[in-house]
Amino acid sequence: MTPTLRQFIQFQSVIGMASAMIFPFYILLLRNVGDSYAQFGWAYGLFALSSALAYPWIGRLSDRVGDQRLLLVYSWGMALVLLVLPFLTDVWQIYIVQIVMGLLGAIGRNSEKTVLARVTTTDKAGKTIGNYHTVTGVAAAVAIIATGYLVDFLTIGALFFLASLLFASSAVMIHRIKKPLS
Amino acid sequence: MKKSFVFMSTIYLALLGTAVVYYPQHVETAVIEDRAQLLPTQMKRITATTETNELQDLLNEAAKEDRVITLAGTQHSQGGQTLYPGGWLIDMKEYDEILAFDPTAQTLTVQSGATWSKIQEYIQPHGLALQVTQSQSIFTVGGTMSVHAHGRDLRYNALSESIESFRLLTADGTILDVSKDQHADYFQHVLGGYGLFGIILDVTLRLTEDELYVQQTAELDYQDYPEYFKEQVLENPEAKMHLARLSTAPDTFLKDMYVTNYLVALNQELRDDYAKLSEERIIAIPKFMLGVARYSDTGKDWFWDVQQTYSERLDGDLITRNNAMRSDSTFMDYESSSRTEVLQEYFVPIEQYVSYIDALREVLERHDINLLNITVRYVERNEDTVLNYATSDMFSLVLLIHQPLDEDSLAETDAAIEEMVATTLAHDGSYYLPYYQFPTRKQFKEAYPKWQSFQQFKEQADPEGRFQNLWYKEYFE
Repeated sequence: MTPTLRQFIQFQSVIGMASAMIFPFYILLLRNVGDSYAQFGWAYGLFALSSALAYPWIGRLSDRVGDQRLLLVYSWGMALVLLVLPFLTDVWQIYIVQIVMGLLGAIGRNSEKTVLARVTTTDKAGKTIGNYHTVTGVAAAVAIIATGYLVDFLTIGALFFLASLLFASSAVMIHRIKKPLS
Repeated sequence: MKKSFVFMSTIYLALLGTAVVYYPQHVETAVIEDRAQLLPTQMKRITATTETNELQDLLNEAAKEDRVITLAGTQHSQGGQTLYPGGWLIDMKEYDEILAFDPTAQTLTVQSGATWSKIQEYIQPHGLALQVTQSQSIFTVGGTMSVHAHGRDLRYNALSESIESFRLLTADGTILDVSKDQHADYFQHVLGGYGLFGIILDVTLRLTEDELYVQQTAELDYQDYPEYFKEQVLENPEAKMHLARLSTAPDTFLKDMYVTNYLVALNQELRDDYAKLSEERIIAIPKFMLGVARYSDTGKDWFWDVQQTYSERLDGDLITRNNAMRSDSTFMDYESSSRTEVLQEYFVPIEQYVSYIDALREVLERHDINLLNITVRYVERNEDTVLNYATSDMFSLVLLIHQPLDEDSLAETDAAIEEMVATTLAHDGSYYLPYYQFPTRKQFKEAYPKWQSFQQFKEQADPEGRFQNLWYKEYFE
């Protein structure tokens, strides 16, 4: 099943907010755990590589099992990973998490595009996708600005848990999709 | 879909609950390091309050739970003075209120977590300045007292002389008024006592007039330095501060020097034009040059040339006392977790300087260590503290060493430093204690012959060993 455009924009806005919230703090976490910029490079390289290698497989899977299932894997997966992140102390743990996030990221990004492809009509694709990026972009911007203030009051751990809750709620949104209008 | 929803939500909420419950424990026993990162230590960090009674409660609680306390300011000590495994680290930086100020009597009472910079900002509008601080003003008052630091001042010299009195929360929970006349034994031990005798609460400092100085710079050979210093600097009543650098560049290694003297300016009316406290300037250029010096010998030669040219340009420039006491330091901050920058400081009697530098050069040429900078300052003999380093009128040499953190490099530095300390001791010198535990226990006892009375007083003042740190453990237990 494929969600409607409106449902999908809501979903992606929540995802965008959660990702934007943690991004700067995730970099800080990597820096504290890692020993050198080489390790920093490896952490991101592993992420990109695991994504790249997973795409062909995910692409085929998406046509077979449907977008909804994959989006659920993505949201729940990210929600769980974010619960683990604040506890990491060694660089090998970071590497493993980066590979897992690379896989999840590939699922998320592939599904984002397949959903958009399925719900847009070709003659209005430009306008629809532009509109889609505006809404999700604004949500991410609001989240990251708000986080700048929040971080004075929350621990880094609490921030990651909050982002995890956002991912979990995005999963709930996908669970609730029953009869999509197309 | 519904089943999987219930299943995932249940698992998720259970894990979320677990994470939220366990996270605080994970944070409380975080690994804490000082600036040199050589001694990562599992501790519980406590951010101190601004309330004295909360410090007392904390001390009671530590006694009840039989916990060890370490005290921390900005943690620039590198020898484990603020660390102890499983201990409670009390971060004093927020305990920093200014309690009393008397511009006429030129005194100020301040809580010990305040930085010197904060005090300067407070007293500068009244035309006043500090008597003694370190060359940078980023440290806390309590920290500077605990390491009994010195600066570049020639006339007030020891910090102990600028401290009128302080209040100390001792291990048994009583608060003592300490000065040279009252509880003098505490005065002699707390200064240079590395936080082992109690929590310094507030301190009354003697201040002085902010003055305008004219900077005088010169280049000279190390062999001419002692005579130059005595005749042109020490015996010149107009000279108030002094700082010199000794070359670490390969071409002029431990031979070339340049000096900066701060002489009272003739036209003091101009002071107000220069009185504004300086902020850290653009640091990109010095940071880049220091970075180049770190990585190659050519870089070191270049860095030395640039420093000299810059110093010549400063000749004749005016600067206030307050600003001379807050020199830049952020450009030296070095961030890496696999390399660090360690400091060493050696004291040597003025008469021994030339033969000492020759011996030191010989030691350094045999070892592969990356020496970036040496500053030379003057310390007057001072017997106010038990662990005193200035046993006669001395030059102090601060060495900045770039240090990879792997075992081989540390072993190499260890060997070099042990030899340097031996050389220093052979020239009737001593070394400064706040740095990493490279010197041996035997060297420590030789440099600080009064170590036994320090230990006796520690056992008498704090029989339970409530205040502890890794440095004390290394050299006394």
